[in-house]
Amino acid sequence: MNYETVIGIEIHCELKTKSKMFSGAPVSYGAQPNTCVNEIDLGHPGTLPSLNKEAVRKALQACMALNLKIDPLIRFDRKNYYYADLPKGFQITQQFHPIGSSGYIDIDTAEGPLRVRINRLHMEEDTAKQYHVEEESWIDFNRAGTPLVEIVSEADMRSASQAMAYVDKLRNILMYLDVTDGKMEEGSLRCDINISLRPEGTEAFGTKTEIKNINSISNIEKAVSSEIIRQKALLEAGKEVQQATRRYDDVAKDTVMMRLKEGSVDYKYFPEPNIPPIQLSQVWIDEIRNSLPELPEARALRYKTLGLNEYDIKQLVQNKALSDFFDALIPSIKNVKLAANWCCGDILSALSQKQLEEKNYQLKLSELREMINALHDQAISSKQAKDIFPHLLKGENYASIVDELKIVMVSEHSSLLKLVEETLDENPQSILDYHGGKDRALGFLVGQLMKKSKGQANPAISNQLLKTELDKRKP
Amino acid sequence: MSFTSVKNNPVEKRVLEALDKAHLVQPILNAMVSFIDPLSQLEDLKSKDKNLPFYGIPVALKDLVNMKDTITTGSSKILDNYVSPYDATIVRKLKEAGAIIIGKASCDTFGMGGTNKTAATGPVHNPYDLSRMSGGSSGGSAVLVASGVVPMAIGTDTGDSIRKPAAFCGIVGVKPTYGRISRYGIIPYASSLDHVGFFTSNVSDAAVSLEVLAGRDDLDMTSSFKPVEKYSSLLKGDLKGKRFGIITNVTNAIQNKNTTTQFNNLCEKLKAQGAIVSEITLNEDLMKAMLPTYYVIANAEATANHSNLDSLRFGVQLEGKDNEEVMIASRTAGFGPLLRKRFVIGSYALFTENQDLIFRKAQKVRRLIVEDVKKALSEVDCLIAPASGNGAPLIEDTQIDQLSSEYLVAENFMALGNFSGYPSMTLPFGFDGVLPLGVNLTCKPFEERLMLDLAKGIEDLTQLNDLICEVKP
Repeated sequence: MNYETVIGIEIHCELKTKSKMFSGAPVSYGAQPNTCVNEIDLGHPGTLPSLNKEAVRKALQACMALNLKIDPLIRFDRKNYYYADLPKGFQITQQFHPIGSSGYIDIDTAEGPLRVRINRLHMEEDTAKQYHVEEESWIDFNRAGTPLVEIVSEADMRSASQAMAYVDKLRNILMYLDVTDGKMEEGSLRCDINISLRPEGTEAFGTKTEIKNINSISNIEKAVSSEIIRQKALLEAGKEVQQATRRYDDVAKDTVMMRLKEGSVDYKYFPEPNIPPIQLSQVWIDEIRNSLPELPEARALRYKTLGLNEYDIKQLVQNKALSDFFDALIPSIKNVKLAANWCCGDILSALSQKQLEEKNYQLKLSELREMINALHDQAISSKQAKDIFPHLLKGENYASIVDELKIVMVSEHSSLLKLVEETLDENPQSILDYHGGKDRALGFLVGQLMKKSKGQANPAISNQLLKTELDKRKP
Repeated sequence: MSFTSVKNNPVEKRVLEALDKAHLVQPILNAMVSFIDPLSQLEDLKSKDKNLPFYGIPVALKDLVNMKDTITTGSSKILDNYVSPYDATIVRKLKEAGAIIIGKASCDTFGMGGTNKTAATGPVHNPYDLSRMSGGSSGGSAVLVASGVVPMAIGTDTGDSIRKPAAFCGIVGVKPTYGRISRYGIIPYASSLDHVGFFTSNVSDAAVSLEVLAGRDDLDMTSSFKPVEKYSSLLKGDLKGKRFGIITNVTNAIQNKNTTTQFNNLCEKLKAQGAIVSEITLNEDLMKAMLPTYYVIANAEATANHSNLDSLRFGVQLEGKDNEEVMIASRTAGFGPLLRKRFVIGSYALFTENQDLIFRKAQKVRRLIVEDVKKALSEVDCLIAPASGNGAPLIEDTQIDQLSSEYLVAENFMALGNFSGYPSMTLPFGFDGVLPLGVNLTCKPFEERLMLDLAKGIEDLTQLNDLICEVKP
């Protein structure tokens, strides 16, 4: 029997704000454990939540980019459960009235374009982080209260690659909005993937499993593929899929059972009494909508009008940091395509993703721009550019590098002509060979010319000049 | 004891006298849970303006109010060792106004009760008759003011927890509008019903106190942006043309003839001053539904509010093989049977399958009650009724019929002010034997100025201000 896979994805995304969702404590990834906390984050008796306006702004931006309908009356609810990482014994979330509902994004997949519907986006607070060390468990409350949005898709995906494309696109959009750092490996973007199989052509959903703890985009495809295989094998053997939460084990390359879902927990949701409903002003919402950053699709279109090819556009747009680098580079650049080549090639291999994201490099854009323009003007050769580039990376200026490396691009007509004439005078046999139809002769002459100029002759112009002079000396 | 009489003494003497007295009466009244060494506060006071409204005035906090580096137990077992790491907003305001905080007053555990009998440190005795209760939940605070230890004490009021003990102890108890005083830093009972307020021995001191405590606080999103009025300087006590509406549901339910007679006399005096006194009847079914409605909402919120008390980060911790066992053991030992009962009721009301039938229904009934009160107040300036049918009950009293109208209506109607959030206060208007009786006023939201003015008018008529019931060992 053939099976159809049905996938829905929940994404928890930490918002990049200065302070927490409901307290003034700083949000800081990687700080000393338990240093970014105050009495509110620790759930001390008598504390009350105060809503972070910046988090609401970022949630609104996300809603807009994901085509969600916005509920301008902000309301929160309590989700009650006891757990060591949940200081208050409840999480403040938006169960009954999410800020965004009924949206979608369009993704490109191997099977063609697909519109994935988004059920809802709601704001909530993150829990603390637990570490289990041998027999002990340690809790870092720095993460407690970090602003989160949860984005819940409809079960619209049918394959591992679609699931990956969805998360990749969503993550990219959120990063373009600058609402999150999107780091899956650090848990600032976490996805729970619900997977079930059903016989092809049937409507009813099969029993689903939920996969958690996926730490990279590429692991999404691996995790989902292996889970599909696992479920299919069970079904084909006439066994049942158990409703459970599983995690992807990067070493075993397979999903591993975490816990069975035995009946659902009653979270006893009720409206949060300490946060009165807040009516957002239309003016503020419009202001946010009008100043929304450029999103990936718009950027791709803009690159298309710049004349970049599909490959470069994809390379750039899918890497916001690189694309931002490119955008910073191109003002007054003479050849945008050439700039794109450099960005997708040498820049990408010379600078780490982290350096690009943090703009932490010595390379000066103005100097790189000058070199690329010189290259375009054929004032230097590609080979020379490769020699210059490592120096640019060290933060040196283009002019001084050229000076230091004694790079002289011989491209002036008169001095090149002199060299060409000398070369021809010294190699009469090659002139005969050239006119005798031996194409290699031209290559030989170019080589001789380069040698004579110590590599400084502009190859394109030299080539042209040699041909002209050779024609003049046709026997 | 009034602010004025306290101010006759030099600052240090006032504070030390208050502390001495608190210690002296403690074995008799059992009103305090912990004492605070005032030395550093007195030191801080030296750099402050002597004209501050609370300059050097000793004040007590209900044991639900966090003050940095002091013990705040909530009169519970589970927080027996809890040292507050921060100041409640009102503590900051009191200090800024020059007050010296001398200690924490006993209350029903986490404010959940009306007798003060559930305090971890045991019942608080009424200074007028030691066999009688203080009332609760802010019983310790009320008794400290009534016995002349401090001229002002902070209380909280979720059902009538300031106004009832004020009535039983012969003092003024004010619960302002919801959002008028910040709740930040006060251990909650039920967030949508909790109010912070206070006790004083006269209306003028109440006006001064409200001026200091009220105001917007960014740490409490439910606190109001409305400007704070100059309550104290605007106090006139003019009753002419003021419209009082007697809540007949309450007066009809009261069995005690003495209370009824004195209340009627008060109303006659009001009329004599030019006040317009009419009768208002609220929907009797709603009045009878008030207590169960209150229990559902308050306990539902309370069960969530106290889920933070898992003993993992603070509080008395018992051993267990994992976090879950630690939580279960600590909570089982740390909460008495009454609290556990309330948590079970609250949880039950919140179960998904029960929410429509219980929790949401209670919210609907609450809205209906509020609409009824709102309508009543559209015709008058103030609703008036005795705060209780009788003086303070015996501590050992077990004879209360909890389904009688006398109990359901006359003893619990003040929760109207918590359901609606409307300002409400109690002040003494007479005695039943040796026991004080209180009268309750409820006004429209943020009409504290009017409410205090009406109270001042009543106080001028009764002359029952600055009552002190000294107790001696």
